[in-house]
Amino acid sequence: MTTQDIIRALNETFELKAEVLHGNQIRVSMHKKQVAPVLLYLKNQWGFIHLDHVSCVDWIEENVFELVYIVYRPQDQLTVLVKTKIHREHPEMENMEGFWPHMRTYQREIREMFGIEFPGFEAPREFILEGWEEIPPMRRDFDTRGYVKRTYTTRPGREDAWSVREYITRRTGEKLPDFARKYSRD
Amino acid sequence: MSETKDIRIITRPTKEQIRQAQIDFAPRCTAAGRVNDKETQKMVQYILNFARKHSLFLLAYGTGCGAIEIPATLTSRYDAERLGIRGAATPRQADVLMITGYLSTKTLKRVIRVYEQMQDPKYVVAFGSCTINGGMYFDSYNTIKALDRYIPVDVYIAGCMPRPEAVLKGFAKLQELIQNGNAGNGECYRKNLDWYRANQQKVIKNWDFPDEYNW
Repeated sequence: MTTQDIIRALNETFELKAEVLHGNQIRVSMHKKQVAPVLLYLKNQWGFIHLDHVSCVDWIEENVFELVYIVYRPQDQLTVLVKTKIHREHPEMENMEGFWPHMRTYQREIREMFGIEFPGFEAPREFILEGWEEIPPMRRDFDTRGYVKRTYTTRPGREDAWSVREYITRRTGEKLPDFARKYSRD
Repeated sequence: MSETKDIRIITRPTKEQIRQAQIDFAPRCTAAGRVNDKETQKMVQYILNFARKHSLFLLAYGTGCGAIEIPATLTSRYDAERLGIRGAATPRQADVLMITGYLSTKTLKRVIRVYEQMQDPKYVVAFGSCTINGGMYFDSYNTIKALDRYIPVDVYIAGCMPRPEAVLKGFAKLQELIQNGNAGNGECYRKNLDWYRANQQKVIKNWDFPDEYNW
């Protein structure tokens, strides 16, 4: 029942290469069609009965979204990070609302904030935002500063606020990578 | 037995005496015709303002992280009730609407509804840097930056976040304004409703307010 057992079991059952992140964290990456079987296997066979979190990362340089499902076993505080990458153009992920009840909340949030569709998922579309008409706001190609300038009026007096990222590069002599400049907020 | 009795002879007053007494002792604020007297107005206003500034009912409604300072202000350590500041349960019973911290556009809609339900005179105290100029949310897609574009504000309390001493200072300033007759912007809001509505509709996309309020 140690981390090595789980890594070996994942390798034998699904031919996945898992690795130990820290002492009691295991990370494993896979194709998106394997996520549902792996999560069910971990839940039913290995006692990972708790879904900690579902998070989404926008890797705009690689043109993918990365979804991370974090499951947890309370007996020995063991955590498994199940990672998958999905294409950014028509992002779709399997609907897994039946696995854990609170999966609905995470899926609703990811659908609203990143625009990832879950076919067959029939929760109300509006969750945190109200009357949102732009592209999903947590995507990195959403122009936050431009939207703020268009929508809100600010009091004068913040013009001397410096861009933190540029200030650090200037002070340390670091060269700002192109992608950082392209998608930085200034 | 010679006992002298003090006998007071009571005579009926004449009609003229009665008329004179009616004029002399008439209460000043009834139909005797002195209601619009300037001095009376000033005195009544002074008493009203004095009473209002010492009984500020604060609506128990917190919007952002600053709401955590309100229990500290109201409870035994700083004890705002000695200044007449205490909580009220519903907007119709409250005098003061306190915007504690950042205001997302979703909450702004509720705040406007709450503000319009409050009875006159009503005061707005904006709390924290976020209400003044966005604070640390100055480039957030979801929070408003200047509160007085959407509802009129009486007192701003700067700080991120202001401690209970600063909150009490803000309330002292509000009491000063009330005593001088400079607080309470419900009239101004009604007069400039078009400007406020235009600003509100620019931010709130799913606008489903009733067309008219009977204030």
